[in-house]
Amino acid sequence: MHNLGIDVLFKGTNMIRLLKGLWVSVEISLIAVLISIVLGLVMGILMTSKSKVIRFILRVYLEVVRIMPQMVLLFIVYFGTTRVFGLNISAEASAIIVFVFWGTAEMGDLVRGSIKSIPKIQYDSAYALGMDKIQVYTAIILPQTIRRLIPLSINLVTRMIKTTSLVMMIGIVEVLKVAQQIIEANRKASPNAAFGVFAVVFLLYFVVCRTISGFAVKLEKRWT
Amino acid sequence: MDINVLITYIPLYNEALLLTFKIGMLGILTAFAIGLSGAAAVYFKVPVVKKILEIYIELFRNTPLLVQLFFIYFALPKLGIRIDAETCGVLGLGLIGGAYMIETLRSGFESIDKVQSESALSLGMTRRQMFGSIILPQAFSVSMPGIMANVIFLLKETSVFSTISLMDLMFTAKDLIGMYAKTIECLFLLVVYYLIMLLPISVLGSFIERRVRYAQFGD
Amino acid sequence: MKKNLLNKLGTIITSAALLGASLTGCGSAGAENTAASEDVTIADAEVAKAESAEETATVYRTLDEIKESGTINIGVFSDKSPFGYVDENGEYAGYDVYFAEKIGEDLGVKINYVSTEAANRIEYLQTGKVDIILANFTVTEERAQEVDFALPYMNVALGVVSPEDKVIESLDNVGADDKIIVISGTTAETYLEKNYPNIKLQKYDAYAEAKTAFENGNGVAWANDNTEVIAFALENEGYKVGIPSLGSADTIAPAVTKGNETLLTWLNEEIETIGKDNFFHKDYEETLLETYGKDYEDTLVVESGKVQ
Repeated sequence: MHNLGIDVLFKGTNMIRLLKGLWVSVEISLIAVLISIVLGLVMGILMTSKSKVIRFILRVYLEVVRIMPQMVLLFIVYFGTTRVFGLNISAEASAIIVFVFWGTAEMGDLVRGSIKSIPKIQYDSAYALGMDKIQVYTAIILPQTIRRLIPLSINLVTRMIKTTSLVMMIGIVEVLKVAQQIIEANRKASPNAAFGVFAVVFLLYFVVCRTISGFAVKLEKRWT
Repeated sequence: MDINVLITYIPLYNEALLLTFKIGMLGILTAFAIGLSGAAAVYFKVPVVKKILEIYIELFRNTPLLVQLFFIYFALPKLGIRIDAETCGVLGLGLIGGAYMIETLRSGFESIDKVQSESALSLGMTRRQMFGSIILPQAFSVSMPGIMANVIFLLKETSVFSTISLMDLMFTAKDLIGMYAKTIECLFLLVVYYLIMLLPISVLGSFIERRVRYAQFGD
Repeated sequence: MKKNLLNKLGTIITSAALLGASLTGCGSAGAENTAASEDVTIADAEVAKAESAEETATVYRTLDEIKESGTINIGVFSDKSPFGYVDENGEYAGYDVYFAEKIGEDLGVKINYVSTEAANRIEYLQTGKVDIILANFTVTEERAQEVDFALPYMNVALGVVSPEDKVIESLDNVGADDKIIVISGTTAETYLEKNYPNIKLQKYDAYAEAKTAFENGNGVAWANDNTEVIAFALENEGYKVGIPSLGSADTIAPAVTKGNETLLTWLNEEIETIGKDNFFHKDYEETLLETYGKDYEDTLVVESGKVQ
């Protein structure tokens, strides 16, 4: 064990710090996904709009999300916005903004897909029963859509957790940065710490993402 | 924004684009090779291999590329396995991409009706012939949109290469910002270069997607 | 289908334009200047600089604002032992941090440490993400145009460390295919790029990454501040500092956002005052002695901002 450098994790509060770093990642992802679900519902409905202008703008937005690496977006929001607008956004807020920007696009596209997949006859019957547009959406369309969305949004959570490994680059101390700090503080006493610590980080990510995505698969099976 | 700054930086970005594209493409090819052979092994239910592949897919789909690269580049040398940065980039991209490609291609294979393979075999084709001339072409075209999505995903993921000292687009931008603090110019060029690299592929992807849908459903 | 493709192309062009516009929008002041700058380039450049200074003018917090808020944001390294690192209990420690603690104490405010990478230091100040950078920041002319340095508190030059069995004693002897490890955004990087453009550099973002890569044998040498490489050779067996001093003798100083006069003045007074009690010698003895021993104390420490 000593040679592999896993022992450093049991010194002081190292392991707890590593887990706290992981929680930072999970927390950012959860907040971002919750906001994305709400905005994604709005966006999805807008995407089925008949207005060409709205649909066009949303397409541009989707295309930007599809093409730009999240790391680039993080840099633009974190450093660019202060330069351009004089707004000072904290690193955590920047990360959440970027993840919401991304999540809303994905959610919106999924919502659009599931709204489209609801048979037209349901709309027609609802209107025939005298419901207005808002009633149709809130009582008929959205409940069915949300149910389909839950497994997919859980999936998005795991992808976001994986992407949080990038927020280290804008100064957020998450699990990877803590790992580096531990390796650095113990370089002399435990020269092989890089192996043990990175192996544990790898496993931590795996356990968290695997558990969450396993849960999503289960839900999906039960609900469809 | 200072035009002169942009002009002096452009050659550096060009170099970075080439490197990003080179490693990206090699990684994608590796991923595709892993994906194709892996999916075939899963399709034919090769006993032990199938189990190993399952573990591999689980491991690589549930961890970030950045962490995988850290592990390969910084941790493995402690066991005496040293890999240079470029190979590490190709390998990392190939491994994570392989896991995604297997899944994409496998679902492509499974979408082909069992009747087809059964009839092919009963016509006296060997399993290899059946796979090569009946299943593969169809599965391939069904999986094409998924493959293109993976390609874009993998090219985007190259942005984490900076951490293992590869001078890709992202690192060039970060490095220049660190040295000369021309943030706006650097970020502007960064966006432009990613657009140059990924837009054509994204357009091609959508085009292929439509072709496939047309071939399948005729609308 | 053709229509779809056209639509898509349209989307792409607009998205590019939009992105471009959103990024250029900010620099419009600068762009106008460029357009008009054909005849009086120098004057205009100065205008542009004044304007960009104005743009960032709102970014920093004055001394009073910091005191009022009760917290000061200080950018330090979190992976550069023994200058700025995080110990096993999760506390920031090191030579820079010891000084930061003193600043917090004398200002009467709490300290919020912001973990920085070398390449982000100027950016953090210019965008007001931190009030002070205390991250082993070497004073250079180029940087002084972007940020304001206070009085120095440490001497530094560049140094190169290499494995004992293959010591590099002159940069002229570096092989054509050999790579030297540097950290992005450091003075070593700028110096080598300028003076040895033929040497291949391998650049890393973080100290921890660079050191691990060096240990793993990814480069033939590691060039950095000589304080850093000396510490590395002392702490790790099998390494030797073949080039102990390279480039000009520089100093390390705290930096604040350009134009933040109140904070700068306070910092300068603070450095002068605590220098009277030999504060930085005490700092050295607390944080660096273990690594460097007594020998380097007088060469490294700068007291009251007076370089000997």
